[in-house]
Amino acid sequence: SRTEQERLLLQSCTLYIGNLTFFTTEEQIHELFSRCGDIKRIVMGLDKVKKTPCGFCFVEYYAREEAENAMRYVNGTRLDDRIIRTDWDTGFKEGRQYGRG
Amino acid sequence: KHRRVSENIDIEDRLESLITRVGEKSTSSLESNLEGLASVLEADLPNYKQKILKILLECVIKLPEKLTVYTTLVGLLNAKNYNCGGEFVELLVRHLKEALKTGEYESALTMVRFLADLVNCHVIVAGSLLAMFDNFIEVTLEDSIPQVRSDWYVYAVLSALPWVGRELYEKKETEFNKMHLSIDSYISKRQKIHAPALRVWTTDHPHPQEEYLDCLWAQIVNLKNNKWQEKHILRPYLAFDGVLCEALQHALPQIIPPSHNEETNYPLPRVIFRMFDYTDVPEGPVLPGSHAIERYLIEDHLNRIIHSTYLERKDCAAALLSFPSKNKIPLNYMIVEVMFGQLFQLPEPPYLEIFYGSELIELCKLQPGSMPQVLAQATEMLYERLDTMNVSCIERFANWFSYHLSNFQFRWSWEDWSACTLVDRELPKPKFVQEVFIKCMRLSYHQRIKDTVPESFTSLIPEKPNAYFKYEMEGAGSLPGTMIAHQLMQAIKSKCTPEEAVAIIKDLPNPLSDDDNEPNYHPLRIDVFTSTLLYLGSKSFSHSFAAIAKFHFVLKMLSDSEEAQIHLLRTLFEVWKTHEQMMVVLIDKLLKTQIVDCSAVASWLFSNEMSTEFTKFYVWEIMHSTIKKMSKHVEKLQKEAEEARDRLEAARRRMADGLDYDEDEEMPSEEKVERMEEKLEIVQNQQKRLFLIIFQRFIMILTDHLSRCESKGHDYNTPWYKWVIERLQQAFLLHHELVFKYIQTLESLLFTSDIDFHILEIFQQFCALRS
Repeated sequence: SRTEQERLLLQSCTLYIGNLTFFTTEEQIHELFSRCGDIKRIVMGLDKVKKTPCGFCFVEYYAREEAENAMRYVNGTRLDDRIIRTDWDTGFKEGRQYGRG
Repeated sequence: KHRRVSENIDIEDRLESLITRVGEKSTSSLESNLEGLASVLEADLPNYKQKILKILLECVIKLPEKLTVYTTLVGLLNAKNYNCGGEFVELLVRHLKEALKTGEYESALTMVRFLADLVNCHVIVAGSLLAMFDNFIEVTLEDSIPQVRSDWYVYAVLSALPWVGRELYEKKETEFNKMHLSIDSYISKRQKIHAPALRVWTTDHPHPQEEYLDCLWAQIVNLKNNKWQEKHILRPYLAFDGVLCEALQHALPQIIPPSHNEETNYPLPRVIFRMFDYTDVPEGPVLPGSHAIERYLIEDHLNRIIHSTYLERKDCAAALLSFPSKNKIPLNYMIVEVMFGQLFQLPEPPYLEIFYGSELIELCKLQPGSMPQVLAQATEMLYERLDTMNVSCIERFANWFSYHLSNFQFRWSWEDWSACTLVDRELPKPKFVQEVFIKCMRLSYHQRIKDTVPESFTSLIPEKPNAYFKYEMEGAGSLPGTMIAHQLMQAIKSKCTPEEAVAIIKDLPNPLSDDDNEPNYHPLRIDVFTSTLLYLGSKSFSHSFAAIAKFHFVLKMLSDSEEAQIHLLRTLFEVWKTHEQMMVVLIDKLLKTQIVDCSAVASWLFSNEMSTEFTKFYVWEIMHSTIKKMSKHVEKLQKEAEEARDRLEAARRRMADGLDYDEDEEMPSEEKVERMEEKLEIVQNQQKRLFLIIFQRFIMILTDHLSRCESKGHDYNTPWYKWVIERLQQAFLLHHELVFKYIQTLESLLFTSDIDFHILEIFQQFCALRS
């Protein structure tokens, strides 16, 4: 439900990162986002058919505060010359890494 | 009735918004806004006094940059309603006393300053403020207290004087002069052993790097010589002199500093960061000199703006750039100096390092015509002064600069720095450039950096990161593990189980075996298994992590002693030595999955085979993240054990009081709590051991270097020495809160009087930070 969704977002340590180039790697994302805190995992968004990166990913931190730092300081800055967007996410679930094919 | 409640809330919200927003940009003058607001508040006092006082108190603490706006408002309220003024003073004093008791020194400082400025608004009697100051200064006469305590009380007085000095000089000259003399004598006898540990640059050229209290004192002396006149503080109360003069004043009650106890954590001393002087500013308003009180006031004001807005970088940038007296000062230069001053602050910057990078980008965006130039000029200066810059600061500089470049297409006038390609690679400038390239590469990719920087820099560009798998290289046939490695590779590719993998490496001979004793680890198995696994997972972090997760049990089994763990790390290094970030991330994973211990990582980093890597920044990235991991672990177990103990005690008390304990609440058993405490003790010992290993190894390699130089008659002060001795300093500073706990042990076991003075000195400077 919607309130449930909002509650999850308020506690979440996971961010959805958008507007990446298709060539941006997990390593680059790690380098940038680890400047905000200890990263638990990164899940690259993949093209449904080709299984190649397609411009988004999920970054999960251990602590909420670290994710907040990324929202504050990385959102709207550049990675690989693209202005990237960060958004709160309710948490990664298997299957969500596949973008539109 | 319902309506009444919500009406009240509406009014309270409105009051809050009116009060917190006064002094912001507005179409009418500040004076008329303040006058209007004071009248509104006066009318609401009968019904909302408590609420109004509470909001005002919050503004004192949370909006220190608008201090004089609020002192004026309180002055106007006091003129209209004497009791209300008195109640506010009482409230403020109560909070100040509480803050001093609980060690909230930042807000205490603000409240002291606020009380001081209330003298200017005819709310508080000058003599009673002076009495409070005298009580503060008397702390300097206390016996056996740490200097940081008396420093803080003196600082609290000095930092309020620009506001109230003139008034005290006019009304209480004799007493004020007496106080001045006491402070002067205190300042002249202070110890400053700690200062070298906190300096960004070891040299005073071109600008002296002064200890913070010395610097403020020099500025205050100048202010005094100018008859306490300054040119920065906005004083809205001057316009209301007529009204305020009529008001009745309150006397402050006695405010006596709570006595010292061992638990108190006073703020650490600082060294004032100076990068620019007036000759660096090409045109426009002049930069105030380093001993002008305006320099202090503007810096303090900028610091406060940052403090209240750092969570919203856009607001922060906007607030900094709309600084009240922006047309009278070279604002961009002052902002940049304050930002770098914070970024380079030792032991640590006030906020996350990336905040400064992100904020400077924001500032460049808002002032594209001027900020980038100032920032480029600053970068140039920092680069020119690298030779004497503290290693921790060089590291932060490289981290910031690479991040900044990554937001501006890596464009930089590299050619200007090409001289660094011709000198010893271990010197600070070429080292800095190499590390910047590495970090830039981590944020982008190898080819990009190669294409971006000029030819002449090729020798400083890192090798392209690649996995090295010796069992597939030419000549692998003669290696003892090659056949098994290939078998293992096939098996893993066809998704074998961990047990099947163990069976494959079982027959490898142990090179350490001899007839007499059974070796306690098996280097060849570790080598074959780990390198094969890492090679197969080399495609990305995720692939490597998945491989480690799947074969966790095998890795854990192979590395059941410290020597085995060190060998595993050695193998990892062999595979990934051209990919620093991969090593950092994988070692982090190995620690988190408890395949290797922190002490093994530390020992390995100090080992002989890592000596070629020892001055590279990534080694220290690993070292410090290892120490941090250890302390996080200790903290977690400590918290759990304490909570369990508390719960048990609480349940026991309830039972002793004859109350039934709550069936639902899970009560930990005595044994369980004891087990938790035992476990905590074990990890605390591991932590202590980790620090002992690190400091002992530091002492060993540094002593070795110093005595070798002495016997050969060489100068000990080599580039290598600078990196290593300052890394030792960093190990103290970065983890200062923890290391302070072990200071006695360190003093009696390691930093004894017979070790070389150059090493001992670093320890003594560190100890002096809190003494």
